[in-house]
Amino acid sequence: MADHNDPNAVNHIFSDIDYSPADLYDLFGWPTSDGQNVVFALTFASTPAAGVLDPDLLYRLLLTSHPRVAWPHGDNVSLESALGYFDAVKDKYLGELRTAEIRVTVKTNSRVILKFLGFPCGNFSTEVDANRVATIPTPDGQTIQAFIGGRDDAFFNDLTGFFRSINYAPQFYHVPHTMTEARELPIPKTLLELEGNDLFNYRDDMPEWGYTQLDGTTPKLDLPPGPWTWKGDKFKKDANGNFRFVYDGRDCRAGQNCNALVFEIPHSFITPSVQANRLVNAWGESWVLKAAHKVVSIPDDPSWVNHPWPVVREKEEDDELKKYKLVDTDGQPFADAALSEREDDRQLGANNFWLGPHFIKRLAHLGWGFGPSISALGLKSSFDHNNSPVSVYKTYDLVATAFPKVAKTLFQPLNMPDSSWNPKGLPIPLRRPFEIFIPNVCAVDMDTSGTWPFGRRLEDQVATRFLSMFLDMDAELNGKKYHIELLSDQALWDSAPIVPKTPPNPLHNDKPFLDSFPYLAEPWLDKW
Amino acid sequence: MTTQSILREKPVTVFEKELARIEAQVSSLKSRCQEHPSDLQSRIRLVYRMFHQATLTGKMAQLEELETVLREVIERFGPKEDLCLLKANLDFRLHRLPEVRHDLEMAPLLSSRFEARILVADLTFQEGQYHATRSALEELISENPTWDTVARLAYWTSKLGDPEEADRFYLQAEDELTAKQMLSYAWLELQRGMLDFNRGRYADAWTHYRTAEASYPGHWHTAEYFAELFAAEGNFKEAEALLLDVIRRTSRPEIQQALGELYLYMDRTEEAEPLFDSALSAYLSSVQRGDVHYFHHLADLYADARQEPREALRWAQKDFEMRPNYGTQSALAWALYRNNSIAESLKYMNLALASGVRDPVIFSTASELLWAAGETEKSLFFADIALKINPQHKNYRMHH
Repeated sequence: MADHNDPNAVNHIFSDIDYSPADLYDLFGWPTSDGQNVVFALTFASTPAAGVLDPDLLYRLLLTSHPRVAWPHGDNVSLESALGYFDAVKDKYLGELRTAEIRVTVKTNSRVILKFLGFPCGNFSTEVDANRVATIPTPDGQTIQAFIGGRDDAFFNDLTGFFRSINYAPQFYHVPHTMTEARELPIPKTLLELEGNDLFNYRDDMPEWGYTQLDGTTPKLDLPPGPWTWKGDKFKKDANGNFRFVYDGRDCRAGQNCNALVFEIPHSFITPSVQANRLVNAWGESWVLKAAHKVVSIPDDPSWVNHPWPVVREKEEDDELKKYKLVDTDGQPFADAALSEREDDRQLGANNFWLGPHFIKRLAHLGWGFGPSISALGLKSSFDHNNSPVSVYKTYDLVATAFPKVAKTLFQPLNMPDSSWNPKGLPIPLRRPFEIFIPNVCAVDMDTSGTWPFGRRLEDQVATRFLSMFLDMDAELNGKKYHIELLSDQALWDSAPIVPKTPPNPLHNDKPFLDSFPYLAEPWLDKW
Repeated sequence: MTTQSILREKPVTVFEKELARIEAQVSSLKSRCQEHPSDLQSRIRLVYRMFHQATLTGKMAQLEELETVLREVIERFGPKEDLCLLKANLDFRLHRLPEVRHDLEMAPLLSSRFEARILVADLTFQEGQYHATRSALEELISENPTWDTVARLAYWTSKLGDPEEADRFYLQAEDELTAKQMLSYAWLELQRGMLDFNRGRYADAWTHYRTAEASYPGHWHTAEYFAELFAAEGNFKEAEALLLDVIRRTSRPEIQQALGELYLYMDRTEEAEPLFDSALSAYLSSVQRGDVHYFHHLADLYADARQEPREALRWAQKDFEMRPNYGTQSALAWALYRNNSIAESLKYMNLALASGVRDPVIFSTASELLWAAGETEKSLFFADIALKINPQHKNYRMHH
């Protein structure tokens, strides 16, 4: 009997990919109102179900606390200073910086093991029920609150609108997995529909095109044969002279759940020098057990389960991680989707410093799309698009060529709408895009409210704030400087020549957040 | 492990759970496709799930049903890359090599895709272009060392290189797999076990086969390997019980043939004959439907079990014309030998040997042919190599 080597006979091949509990959604982080604790919430796909965890997964929340660092170059904005900054970040993350972590493994679908590794008080572990708030005493006499389980997905966003803005074809067309060139189609990215853009413009006959429905399906079209081009020269306007927004402001995650790791941690548990170390940086990782280690029946190490502390960190952690494969990382919202183009090999977590040059080129590419859209609305853009009357498709091979165009977008301080982010009125510098995205961490400033980009609060509309990077923060509207909430201001859209008259993304989550731990809302019933 | 421990009533196995899940998905997707005839996404998901279902069950009827549905979908929606790729995979499994190339050319850019290039490497191996295959695999691995690509290199190396290196490649492939790919992991363990089996290292083979069973409990495919190893060790009763169970579960004619051959090996000729009849009937029905994937089974069955050398030659010739590789060359040589065409038989055996294959069964066959041709010294040489590679190569075997 012949036996041909045919791995595909046992391979889940090609267009047959299931949802994965390793798919990280978001990382939220903010200080509690008294400034003593910091909250982090890492959310991920709720499979097998909301509140039911997958025993093959391992999650890490990595934490480090250090002083706030001011940009050392003053107003000197140059490619050299930017690249120097990326190098410094690299040296820091590969060098002296020591991170602590909370590691979560799943003992059963409803029971998890938490390991606290590398914190000043020493390592320890404990075991908690899923879907319940647990209060964990630490060896140094403090208390951590933990919740691991199902929640309403805290993300509220017109994801389809965002995909339309970047011409992400798989949301709208049947794009075989093999056709990697047909993901972001090579036409201008834009916030306003382009005249004659038959590939992505709204269709009256298919109002739900590209929007995922309650039954999990997404109405899509057959991808027309290439080349995929746009030959127009202006934005589309209706008979009333209005532009058409690529967003309609709906919440594409409404009614959807996630699974989440939520921790409320004393700052002094993370660092002994809370006065000096005012920043808490965090990022999340998901790992999947390797097949070889699934087979071997590994009894639970009694030191983890029966003795809350202490346990040996150095060798144990490495040996444990060697049994897993890193799948996904999450630090900043949109770092993956908008800037890293979702490439698997760019899942680097905080260590994304090597993407610095790519980040500059990518931001310039986006700028040629979004900058002219913003200008067309009568707003000023931070991106130098040579007064282009319409969005342009342009990519860069050289960082040096891209940099002058994008320098202001990268380096301008992002104005906040009011002073509520800085309740103590401290001289805290405003954040700038280059330092927000590299390293790819959620950087919580413990002296602020933790609203993005000084952290990320649940109620922050980060998708719209991300777009505000392309606004010129030196410009003013009605006597007030542009700020990161400007594009969420309904009055702006009411007066703009555009339909629909809506901010790009919803202003609030579909379910109110809780006032107390675990803050994320209860999951929806009968939803996965 | 005993046969009873494998066969006794157990809780639902991972295999059964997976199969039930896939069957439910196929059923649900079929309903959706009926309700929404223009839903391409669901149809694509359906055909992929049907492929997975058919490979799990091993039932030819399900592959045939898939083929019908796949043709309809391609006809209706056009030659989408993922549909053509699936069809190419299906055709490759059914040995329709020219059709594989045609499938890959149906969508304009498909043949340049990574996934398609893997399949082309499979094709060139089947066509006897070993060096081209190796180069292609190495290039693919340098681009993206996916587990299945590395496994292909392992297989190449197991046949044409060093078995120890092959095992290292299989190990490397295993390291790429996660707990969500246990079926693939079990398959790799079976390949590693077969590497040991082919060298007569039965204890090591058992270790891998048991790991395969532990990785993905309840798969009939693993039971097949268990059966072969039991039989090779002389535990015919255990082997028989397992093969009967696999036949009950899959109705695969090649397993019927394998059990028949086991009965022959045990001198239970009368029990073998109905199994050969049944297998032959299935093979010939398949041929009548225009299929080609049972040619090598027909050549094999006619050459030995049925001792009808002219029929054996007919099918071996057809298989060789379709897939000129060391396997078909060796089978053709054997069929010619059975027809007393010794000189011509040696011609094809020499072709097989020139490939560089290091297979004790082929060496043993070569020895027999050379002996018949009066080339005693050469015959002894190959007999010696076969013994060195696997001192137990004359034992019962199914996979070769």
